[in-house]
Parts: sequence; structure tokens; C-alpha cells
Amino acid sequence: MGIETKLASRLKPVYLTYGSLVSPLGIGMEQHLTAFNAGKTGVSFQQGTGFNKEDYYLGKIESLSNNRYTDLLSLGFNDFVEKVGQELIDSPSTLIIVSTTKANLNDLDSDTFASTRKFIQETTNNPNTPIFISNACISGVIAVNTAADYIRSEKFTDVIVIGIDALYDFVVYGFQALYALSNEPSKPFDKDRKGISIGEACGIIHVTSNKPTSFYVDYLGGASSNDANHISGPSRTGEGLVRAVNRSIERSNIAKENIDFISAHGTGTVYNDEMESIAFSRLGVNHVPTNSLKGYFGHTLGAAGVIEILISMLSAETNTLFKSLGFDEQGTSESMNIITNNTQAEIQTVLKTASGFGGGNAALIFQKTL
Amino acid sequence: MKVVATSYISVKGAFLNEKKIQHADDTNWLKSLYQALEIDYPKFYKMDTLSKMAFLASEIMKNEIAAVQTSDQDMQLLFANSAASQQTDLKYLDSYANGGTPSPSLFVYTLPNIVTGELAIRNKWYGENTFFITEKFDEDFFKEQLQFAFSRGNKSCLCAWVDTPTDGIEECFLFLVSEGENKPGNLELLNRLNNYRNE
Repeated sequence: MGIETKLASRLKPVYLTYGSLVSPLGIGMEQHLTAFNAGKTGVSFQQGTGFNKEDYYLGKIESLSNNRYTDLLSLGFNDFVEKVGQELIDSPSTLIIVSTTKANLNDLDSDTFASTRKFIQETTNNPNTPIFISNACISGVIAVNTAADYIRSEKFTDVIVIGIDALYDFVVYGFQALYALSNEPSKPFDKDRKGISIGEACGIIHVTSNKPTSFYVDYLGGASSNDANHISGPSRTGEGLVRAVNRSIERSNIAKENIDFISAHGTGTVYNDEMESIAFSRLGVNHVPTNSLKGYFGHTLGAAGVIEILISMLSAETNTLFKSLGFDEQGTSESMNIITNNTQAEIQTVLKTASGFGGGNAALIFQKTL
Repeated sequence: MKVVATSYISVKGAFLNEKKIQHADDTNWLKSLYQALEIDYPKFYKMDTLSKMAFLASEIMKNEIAAVQTSDQDMQLLFANSAASQQTDLKYLDSYANGGTPSPSLFVYTLPNIVTGELAIRNKWYGENTFFITEKFDEDFFKEQLQFAFSRGNKSCLCAWVDTPTDGIEECFLFLVSEGENKPGNLELLNRLNNYRNE
């Protein structure tokens, strides 16, 4: 038993419960369960959205105004408040962590983070300074790992993790300039995958030390890593992802054989998905049922990790392996067990992974109490 | 925990452990520091200001870092600033807003954590990394994150306040912290930063 495993065995319990989820598929977990059961996608044809008016498929929420970031934040937050009540949010023992890559790009000339601080100040009486994590596409997973650190240190009893990014030309044009954008809905892990569909979403996870009365999962452990290879391309060997997953397994005090389901990153680019297949093969978990949710939401950057954990919790609650939308035929050099149809299965232990620009990787493991 | 070394990069020059080791020229100060410090790493020229500053700050601390590092993944990078990648964001926006086309090389730097990626690549660091945004340098926040990093099993942390605010000083304050005794103690981080700022 390694030192990290020994540490894990005497750590305080950390519970994850549903907060809120706003995406093109709806608001709240129930609407998302309905959409996922029906195999519905939130990615839609968006005419003339490219830099030279090219057509792309994006995970766009049609109801948002030009102030789409603040609209999205209030939709998610208000839904959450309705569910848990103002008391929890205002409590001095509650901390708010925001995971976002770009925050409010309408305020690029001044401060893109200011409107979130203002919103929290105006809608809550929470006395604690909110924490912002901006670590590219792994921000959401890191945010939940950080929330667990706060709970285990007993500094706070509750942490509200908000993962949010809105759809802006800024981001669409950038991925287009990198030739990373797909001109059809994203097809993660498929042999005909052509790239990313960008999306927007707000996901909220309530992390708590108090055993919840509604559905919850036990957070076991997590880790981040760096590929030390390239700032905008994934490692060809999957080295960083292998390390993040191995450390997460060790810290979670489980064996890799315990993992029932993997919620992968799966952006739908040739190189990212290939890297993941190599990493999961090296880890010996490539036979485990795996999906990417980017076919449903597109890539929602700082929100991605958070919303994908929420849907994976839904998988665990309903014992449903949701199909990896857009996948038809294996298109990676190492074999994977990509889920092709919604399937009922006993899901207890879940591995969530993410990889992103800057060479970052992050992973975490949660478990449903049987 | 114990502060093993600190360094500081700004237009005033390069400082290591509160001593000035290199003066910077007023024009193109980052390039002047890079050349004067005789570092050979051509990728430097492609980096944005955040990465250039953190790169120089870590290069001058190389010996101290090597002395505490016990494996290629036992050191966590804990970085923070107030303005994220705003400086590059505005340059990237400018690349297409006025008749040009979106620059892919600028877009890549429109994420603050690219800095940690640059240092990881240079030094083959595979450890944990997080980039936080806080309104100003927050000593208590860093202490909190350091405690978490050590309790997760990391043996040392390389921390940075690396910022390019539109209305403030461009600076990188790098500090290397080792686990040592488990009590946080007084790290005097803000004092050390202010000493550098007042040089």
C-alpha cells in the first residue's frame, strides 16, 4: 500500500449531489434525463457562425441574450437556489468555487471575472471570497478536487462548484483558426471524427460533508498532471493522463478493476481521442464501458468537467450507461469499449477524466453507496 | 512548510532570494533579461508576457528547484493572477476585429494556465498544476492551497503570482515551498513580494 493510499483510507467523507444543469437540452437533471433517454442532442446547425460565415454545429442555448454569460449564470444559480434554499448559500460555512476558462467575454476590456463576483455579492449574503479556477478544459474536474480538499480540511462544510462558459465568436474563431472545429456534429472516438463542436453550459455540483437526504455519490479521490509535451497538442503517449488516473486510483484506495464506467474527455479531434485510447490501454482500463458527452453538449470548456460529472452521477443513479453520441465505428489505434446504446448496468464506481490546453490532465473517482 | 527560494521578474530586473541579479533595459525589457541571463531556449520568443516572465523566474531558480525535487511528479504548480490572459486576449481579438484573420498562435495563449504548461515542458514536470484567479495577491489563499497540496502527498510546490494587469505592473513572483514541518507558520509571502516591489 502506497503512502497516498494510506492517507485516503482515513480521510473524511465527501459527498457530491446534484446542483443544477443548464444546457441546450434544458434546465435541471430531470429534463436532461429525459433528453438522454431519448438520445437527443443539444448540438445544432448554426448558419454562418464561422469567421468567414462558414456553417458549424454548436451547442448553443437559443434563449440567451447578448449578455449570454450572465444570463447563463443566473439561470443556473436561480435553479440551484430554488432547489437548496438561500440558507445554504448564505452560510459562512459554504464556499463558492467557479470553474471557467473565459468567464464574461462581454467585459474583455475591463475584467471578465467582475460580473460573476458582482452577481454573487448581489444575490447572496455569503461572506466568503469566491474562488476562480481557470485551467483550460480540465478546470471543472480540478474544481471538484479542490472542493473536496476544502471539505476534508474542515474549513467548510459545503462547497458549491459552478462550471460555466458561454458561446462567443472569440472561442469559435480560435478553434476554427486551429483547424480543430468540425463542420458536422462532433463524433468522439469515431473513425470519421473531424473535430470539436463548441458549446455553452452551466453546471452546479453541491459538495458537502453532511450526508445528503437525496441521491448522492461518495467522492473518493482525484489528481491532476501535466504532459510536459506541448501547449496545444495532446501527448502522443498519453503520459499525463496515465499519471493523473494512476494517482486518482491510488488516492481513492480502490483497484482499477473496480471501475465500472469511464466518462472520458473525448473532444472529437483526431489527436485527443487517439491519445485517450493509448492512455486507457496503458492503464489497462480500455475494456471498461466509456463515453464522451461532447456529442450531446459540444465542448463546453470550463463547464465540461462539471456537467459531465453531473450526467455520470445520473448514470450511477439510474444504472444507465448512456451511449456515446456520434460514435459508430472505432477510430482509435487502441481498442476501446465505447457505449453504442443506452444500456442498463450496475454502475457503482466511476472514473471521470479531462485533458486540455497547456498539457493539463485531471481525473477523479466517485462511488455510489450500494 | 518552508519557503526554500523566491525570485522576481519585472521591468526592474531579475531578482533571486531578494537580491538583484540582473538589470533590465527599459525597451524590450523581457528580451534584454533573456539575453543577459544567457539562456538558450528559442521557444521563449514565441511566448506571451505571462509565460516569458514565469520562464525567466524559474530559470534563475533552477538550482534551488533541483535541490528539493525528489521525482518528476512530486512538485505541484500553484499559480494565480488577477487578469488571467487578458493581455493576450485583447491582442488575439485585435488580430481579427480590424480586417485581419484570427491568429491561432495568439489564441493558444488566451488561457492563463498555458504558463504552467510552458514550465512543465521546459523542465519535464509531470506533477499537479492549477491556475487560480484572485483579485490581488492573497497570502492566506496560497497557504491554504499549499496545505492541500502537501496533504495530497506532494513534496514541494512551485507557486507563482504572475500577472499582466492593464492598469498595473507586469510582474512574476515565484516561490518554492517544501513540505518540511507540517505547520504552515509565517511564510511572509506578502512581505517578500512587497520587498521586491519596493526595490
